[in-house]
Amino acid sequence: MAVEVILPKVDMVMETGTFVEWLKQEGQQVVKGEPLFTILTDKAAIEIESPASGILAGVSAKPNDVIPVSETIAYILAPGERQPERRSGASAAGAATSAVPAETPAGAVVIGPSAFPAAPAGKVRASPVARRMAAELGLNLNTLSGRGPRGRIQRADVAAAVETRAAIRPSGMPALQIPLPDARRKEVIPLTGARKIIAQRMAYSAATAPHITLSLHVDMSEATHLRTRLLEKIEQSTGQRLSFTAILVRAVAAVLPHHPFINASLNVEEIICWEDVHLGIATSLKDYLIVPVIRQAQTKNLEQLVVVLADLVERARSHRLSPAEMSGSTFTISNLGMFGIESFTAIINPPESAILAVGKIVERQAAGENGLVLKPMMNLTLSADHRVIDGAAAASFLAELKATLENPYLLL
Amino acid sequence: MSDQKKREITYLEAVREAMVQEMRSDPDVFLMGEDIGVYGGAFGASQGMLEEFGPERIRETPISEEAIAGAATGAAMMGMRPIIEIMFMDFVTLAMDQLANQAAKIRFMFGGHTSVPLVCRAPAGSGTGAAAQHCQSLEAWFVHAPGIKVVAPSTPYDAKGLLVTSIRDNNPVLFMEHKLLYRTKGHVPEDLYSIPFGQAEVKRPGRDLTVIAYSNMVVRALEAAEILAAEKIEIEVVDPRTLKPLDEATLMASVCKTGRVLIVHEAPITGGFGGELAALIAGGEAFDYLDAPIRRLAGRDIPIPYNRTLERATVPQVEDIVAAARTLAKEGK
Repeated sequence: MAVEVILPKVDMVMETGTFVEWLKQEGQQVVKGEPLFTILTDKAAIEIESPASGILAGVSAKPNDVIPVSETIAYILAPGERQPERRSGASAAGAATSAVPAETPAGAVVIGPSAFPAAPAGKVRASPVARRMAAELGLNLNTLSGRGPRGRIQRADVAAAVETRAAIRPSGMPALQIPLPDARRKEVIPLTGARKIIAQRMAYSAATAPHITLSLHVDMSEATHLRTRLLEKIEQSTGQRLSFTAILVRAVAAVLPHHPFINASLNVEEIICWEDVHLGIATSLKDYLIVPVIRQAQTKNLEQLVVVLADLVERARSHRLSPAEMSGSTFTISNLGMFGIESFTAIINPPESAILAVGKIVERQAAGENGLVLKPMMNLTLSADHRVIDGAAAASFLAELKATLENPYLLL
Repeated sequence: MSDQKKREITYLEAVREAMVQEMRSDPDVFLMGEDIGVYGGAFGASQGMLEEFGPERIRETPISEEAIAGAATGAAMMGMRPIIEIMFMDFVTLAMDQLANQAAKIRFMFGGHTSVPLVCRAPAGSGTGAAAQHCQSLEAWFVHAPGIKVVAPSTPYDAKGLLVTSIRDNNPVLFMEHKLLYRTKGHVPEDLYSIPFGQAEVKRPGRDLTVIAYSNMVVRALEAAEILAAEKIEIEVVDPRTLKPLDEATLMASVCKTGRVLIVHEAPITGGFGGELAALIAGGEAFDYLDAPIRRLAGRDIPIPYNRTLERATVPQVEDIVAAARTLAKEGK
């Protein structure tokens, strides 16, 4: 029996997914459970496993196609089996559907009717009303993606683009038509998936949450000692190396419950202070950022955090995190130390009300008992939503975090 | 007054009432055709009229459509206002020289010194199992002959009001009556009234898609609209009522509103009136409002089969309109 390969629903609210790439070639043997293709949801790129073993055939999805959930995008066939005729939703009443040619030589596979020729170079498929709207709004049709047949840009696509652009623009500000430079274009990338969500949320956050930023240096001498002392032991028990990130996560998770407004969300007319500390760890992948979430971090000890962190980061890098594991954080830690960044400010990840930006640990001159000495120092910068958090409250959180990291034995 | 409001009669009775009332008020109006006297017409349109108006004004003719049309053209030039009944629209092919070459051109060729106020009533359409020579819808032939007006009412109300206007018009009018409409009922005032030519009517408003249909296809489009409404697809059914002159403004406004249009007629798709409508829309104000290609749903390019199943499959049915409208309404949404 031919098994349909469908675009899966990997998220409760998902309606479409953007196809990224096939990890197997058409006509190739695949094994059930093997990674078969990658899709981009609103949140992340995800690898999808093959639903069956057999030969991949009838591949219709192409990179950047936006495909409705449950649509068949290929088949897995048994050896010698023919691909079933694809159900066509687009043929008008009474119109005859084109016949699928019989077995073609050399194991070639029949291409489904959705394989339409691309629009000629320099031309865009767009309905007349979409063209008129785009012209009136000053939108470049080349920057839009169409959901109509053959990728035709229709009214709904232009309307969606307008909405998106309005969403990533601070509210109340007029749409600025800033002329684009007269330069040759290397590539035009539609704003979709994770990039679009990031764009919308960052602009929303920057425009609606008045940010205050507070910064201090933490002496990481004791934390370094602690790490050295525990490194081998934790590696024996967990197989993972203890990182400064894990120590920092443990400290934040221990301190946050004492500062309810830092672990809170502004929701229309109310402030919700969260009992749980769901810690988002901003993680940079090759071309975009994801935020895997450690649930109820306040209940986990250092060893448990080491294990959870290693697992999340490893699966994030191989695109195997589920959308649920990348959403719902109540506070975010962003660390750019590995790039040599010593300090920076971050934009709050809504609906959270604060975010901690962590810099590289660097040897700095500091006052010791016998004059100036070099100490491993780390910069922490807290961005806080001033609607929820007063300066003193933010300072109090940072101060306690500093005290904890400088005397990490408090975490015992 | 309230009785008057509620009065419902059939399409066939509405056609008869228009003829009778016009004949009572204008002695120049008379009816000519095959079997229209004692027999009352092949479909019963002229039942009782011989008794009221006598054989001078209800004139039985030999079986010769050319003679009927020719005699009517001559009578019209001499000041009479003849109505001719062509038993089946298919037989009008025999009268085409008189209608298309003579009646249509005389007023033009004589510099307006004479006119040809004749009405050619023609029962059209399939669905009765009457096979290929008794089922055609030949409106496109007449639309293509300058000088002839073409009327295709879909309701009893429109049938009466437009037939009155046809009789009073000073030009030849092809009045198309779909045989399946004859038994449909609707509100028709007893008083004499007329509906001007060139006024389309929105038979059902909707936001998602415009369906342009005339004659019996209006009835099917309205049925389809009910089914689609249950799926939250609101189609707007627009009936041009007169194909020539055509109310372009109403059609255009509807397409501008919905951005999508399905044109439905029973006649074969190739060379059908739908192509003309499509070209007008694509070339007009509505172009900039189109969000999907203009689509046509029409009869297949074959003679109407006698076999019931094949006859049904040849012309658009309610389910075909539903499917085509659904596909078009969802395209790209």
